[in-house]
Amino acid sequence: MGEITLTKIKKSFGAVDVLKDIDLDIKDGEFIVFVGPSGCGKSTLLRTIAGLEKVTGGQIEIDGKRVNEVSAADRGLAMVFQSYALYPHMSVRQNLAFGLENSNMPKAEVADRINEAARMLEIEPYLERRPGQLSGGQRQRVAIGRAIVRRPTAFLLDEPLSNLDAELRVSTRAELAALHARLGSTMIYVTHDQVEAMTLAHRIVVMRAGKIEQVGTPLDLYNTPANRFVAGFIGAPHMNFLAGEVAELQTGTVTLVTSGDHRMLVPFSGHSLSVGDKLTIGIRPQHITIANDPGSLKVKVRLVEALGSETVIHADLNGEKLLAVVPGQKQLSPGDEAHFSVAGAPLHLFDRNGLRVKGS
Amino acid sequence: MSTTSLTDRLGSLLMAPVHLLMRIIDIPLRAVQKTTGIGGMAAVFLAPNMLIFGIFVLLPLVINFVYSMTGGTAFFLSERQFVGTDQYARLFQCANYLDPMSCQEDAFWTAVGNTFWFVILQVALMIGVSLITALILNRDLAARSFWRAVFFFPVLLSPVVVGLIWKWILQRQGLLNFGLYQFGIEPYTWLTDRNWTFIATIGVSIWAHMGLYTLILLAGLQAIPKDLYEAAEMDGTKPARVFRRITLPLLMPNLLVVVVLALIKAVQIFDEVFVLTGGGPGTSTLYLTQYIYETGFASALRNPGLAAAASILMGLVLVVLTLVQLGIGQRSEKKGKR
Repeated sequence: MGEITLTKIKKSFGAVDVLKDIDLDIKDGEFIVFVGPSGCGKSTLLRTIAGLEKVTGGQIEIDGKRVNEVSAADRGLAMVFQSYALYPHMSVRQNLAFGLENSNMPKAEVADRINEAARMLEIEPYLERRPGQLSGGQRQRVAIGRAIVRRPTAFLLDEPLSNLDAELRVSTRAELAALHARLGSTMIYVTHDQVEAMTLAHRIVVMRAGKIEQVGTPLDLYNTPANRFVAGFIGAPHMNFLAGEVAELQTGTVTLVTSGDHRMLVPFSGHSLSVGDKLTIGIRPQHITIANDPGSLKVKVRLVEALGSETVIHADLNGEKLLAVVPGQKQLSPGDEAHFSVAGAPLHLFDRNGLRVKGS
Repeated sequence: MSTTSLTDRLGSLLMAPVHLLMRIIDIPLRAVQKTTGIGGMAAVFLAPNMLIFGIFVLLPLVINFVYSMTGGTAFFLSERQFVGTDQYARLFQCANYLDPMSCQEDAFWTAVGNTFWFVILQVALMIGVSLITALILNRDLAARSFWRAVFFFPVLLSPVVVGLIWKWILQRQGLLNFGLYQFGIEPYTWLTDRNWTFIATIGVSIWAHMGLYTLILLAGLQAIPKDLYEAAEMDGTKPARVFRRITLPLLMPNLLVVVVLALIKAVQIFDEVFVLTGGGPGTSTLYLTQYIYETGFASALRNPGLAAAASILMGLVLVVLTLVQLGIGQRSEKKGKR
């Protein structure tokens, strides 16, 4: 079992509130990812679950039992640190055995567990080497191995891929997903990389300034971000935001007018808008096409990044920046005029407070 | 006229003497470079320092060695007679090598014995005390910087001042006896009891030098990544095991440096002990450097040749210790590169 329930978790360092009333239910076997910009409190939240930091308020329960006062060692969790935290003077085998020896486990069982983990992670050839003699990727496996041998209730992973190069990060990400499928244990994973979050998570917890902004499946967050922050954070490149105003309300649609008097017809089934309301319109760069249809946005091209399979176009719409990612290769140069069409694109509407407009 | 051109002119006016000075310096340097070539300039720049090193270090070393081959009480080499290795032979002339009193130079062997025990005990205690202090100072103490300064402060004192301070504390009418008297304890003559003076010299030298070693160890402790301790905490490792299996092995390079530095320093012990006890009572705190000083300069029957021979022998011990230190340094450097 590995159910973790957080209720009204608070953590302060002196006068600074790092975590503010965090509520979260993590189900057994779930792969959950905490994501957010630097300093949002995601690592602190992980460390409070681990028991490395004491909470200032609230309750942490593991499998229904309150563990606030339980030491880190007795919570039955294992952590993989960002720096791997391998003991540099011990061999890989000794590193894996160190924690098990603390509990006076019989030697035969220690050896069995090490061998099993080493086989699973394919680190058998390096068991007698020291961490200094391993590559970053190998060290990372050893760090995961050290967590696996403990057979924990849940794995806590603090930005485990951030020290790997881009290529290795992609392959290790896939291995981590496979490992989770194989072990079936609860995994809590901290990252600031939204691609890691999208690819690994069952559910993503987006955090900002010590608060949870939204919890949901990767596609929930992508398709219906709860606010402007989540909309901007999830998805790469970032969502475009344009200032707009409600011009007309019809049944099932709303007409918005943007700077330069562009009019957009957006499906809308709610009741919270009235004519003259100021809004922010969110458009994902991938949802923009280049077409001169009625209602298309006339933009000035600033920069063109040709990636071969797709083209990233940085453009300017009356002083507002607009980014489009279009498939294939486009013959465009800086200074050109182009027509960005958003016809049929899912548009996201956010109110003055940055919250998603209901019914949009 | 714009302000820029005004400041430019003011600047060039101020810089004029500097440029002039540079040109003047250039003249001899250009001349030298013409003869030595660009490669020889490094030697030219090093020469002044090498000259100072030669005069104040290398030359005395050589002269000292020459002295050790001469006999008599005269100071000027021209008045001294060559005796070969007689002085060394004299130092080693013993009826029974296990009994210093059977040696011709019994004071030398007493000093060697005293220094030996002093070094063993002082270094062992020094390491222990410095390590414990470093471990405490590495914790989240209130006013941590203040405490670090407090422990380092004695290092900045001159050894003579150290000796005097402790003399004031330990003498018959000193602070310690005054304090004890307040608690109804009879005053004691700490500096005339053979055992106590020996202990006092160890204690005082530890007090005076531990700051440096504590600092080196503290630096080592702070270089150990915090997450190793957190990983150990997650694993439920007991504090004693954390210290034995993580802290101590990772502190070992610093610890080795401290051991060797403390050994070298302890072998050379002189100033503070000389001021504190003068080597007494009797010869109970007579250490090697003081023996050399007294044999060479202070005693009525001064023998500079014998003192020079003894200092050469002590120098050999220090050379061995320094080589060990260099070896450790190179080994840890290699480890760092790997």
